[in-house]
Amino acid sequence: MSNTKILVPLGLTNSLHHRLIITVRLLSTAGNRKNERIRQTRLESTKQEEEKDFRVFQIKGLNPRNKREQRKNDAPKMQPRYMNMKPDDDWTNVWPTASTFKWSAIPFPVRQGYTDNLSENENVTPGRYANTELLKIPNFLHLSPGHIKKHCQVLKDFCTPWPAGLETDELCDQHFPLTVKTRDYCFSSPSVADSRSRLVTVKLKLSDLRLDEHGEDKIKRLLGDKYDPETGEITLNTDRCPLKKQNYDYAMYLLTALYYEAKKVEPWELEKDEADIDKYSWERSQSKRNILKLVQQNEKEESLRERSEDDILSRDEIKSYASSVIELHNEGENYTTINNYKQSVLQLLNVKSQLT
Amino acid sequence: MIKRGIQTTSCQCKNIRSGIPKTTPFKNKPLSYEEAQPPYRIGVTKAWNSWNTSNLKDEGKTGETTIDDMFIRRFVKGTFHYLLASEVIIKRRHNMIIICGLLFGSYQQRMSHDPKKYYFLIGYSEELLSHFLKCPVKMEFSVVTDKNDMVFKKI
Repeated sequence: MSNTKILVPLGLTNSLHHRLIITVRLLSTAGNRKNERIRQTRLESTKQEEEKDFRVFQIKGLNPRNKREQRKNDAPKMQPRYMNMKPDDDWTNVWPTASTFKWSAIPFPVRQGYTDNLSENENVTPGRYANTELLKIPNFLHLSPGHIKKHCQVLKDFCTPWPAGLETDELCDQHFPLTVKTRDYCFSSPSVADSRSRLVTVKLKLSDLRLDEHGEDKIKRLLGDKYDPETGEITLNTDRCPLKKQNYDYAMYLLTALYYEAKKVEPWELEKDEADIDKYSWERSQSKRNILKLVQQNEKEESLRERSEDDILSRDEIKSYASSVIELHNEGENYTTINNYKQSVLQLLNVKSQLT
Repeated sequence: MIKRGIQTTSCQCKNIRSGIPKTTPFKNKPLSYEEAQPPYRIGVTKAWNSWNTSNLKDEGKTGETTIDDMFIRRFVKGTFHYLLASEVIIKRRHNMIIICGLLFGSYQQRMSHDPKKYYFLIGYSEELLSHFLKCPVKMEFSVVTDKNDMVFKKI
């Protein structure tokens, strides 16, 4: 077969040629189309950057770079976190737990330090970057209101409502008269044990033991200075055992022993004299006997009639005399007790003064 | 013997500059904030490097804590050789020891700036120290990019 010539106008051939070239190019780049696209976008972005600020052409070797600058440029540059933080970021996620100050994660400016003059840091308080002072001081960045709210929400599951009927302190004291105080110590040391934590204090009101008169008097004598007459409280401090539990048990043992010992009446206790009793008792006093004797004598002389003791004692003047004598003994001598005593004696002896 | 023990002359008090660095003729010796503050300003313009409760009233174990701190400082200085930019700060909370300070972003020092090495050293010291001291040890370091960032004053 001989060569065949197709007659095609010149303009058409040019366009055909173009098309061919384009298809060939397309075919050759089909595998690397993705890379091509990336290159294109990069070119565009660099163009945009160049439009933003005009870069000066650096001739290599013209200006010798100093070593420090070179190193600075070689180092990976990371933006500190606060540059990318938004005002509505959740702070509890940025600073979840207690930690040392991190200068890059703080979205507010902090400075710490002291400068004397211009030679020191140009008289500017050192900033947060490379500041050891800020590392030293304890911070509370992990205890912001947001954190506390989160803590409370988690702890809510473990909370129970306050028991009904224990609204006031008085009600609490009434239902739980015994108070046990123990101590725990928090300090920074490799060992968390502290010998002071063995101490146990037990407090109780004497009236809550519901002892009779004899028992109260006896327990007070047994307690000595562990009983406070002003508040009426018994305070037992136990620290003789090495452990808290042992000391608590010992305090409970002490309390039980005291209670039952106070209830017991030993035969020698009946020998108690008037002087042995700490509180003046009219019932057993010499004063009562004297009064009875006196009144009975007077009655005999007047009407020769025997009267019972109770009748005599229930008289108003005798009653007031008794109360004033008790007052005088228990409260001590002061203006009112002396005056009351005087009045009652005048009444008893039927003496009418013109002055009163 | 007794005669020798009695001091009859007044003390000269010549060495009163302990902990205060000497100035250089050209005033080109760089000092960090920590070094620039004299010891008598501890608690005034700079804080302590050891934070614990052993020196508070009625608290004990002062000696143990101090010796432990000395050991920790030596250990950290040896482990992070050429990397420490600041003093080692030791803070104690309950039985936990928190060691913090500043490290060089080491490209200008002997090590390459591979963060893996730092993480290894931190993990290694935490593990070893907590075994030695029988309590949890935490290390919280920040990084300083340049040695000159630490300069507060030149004398």
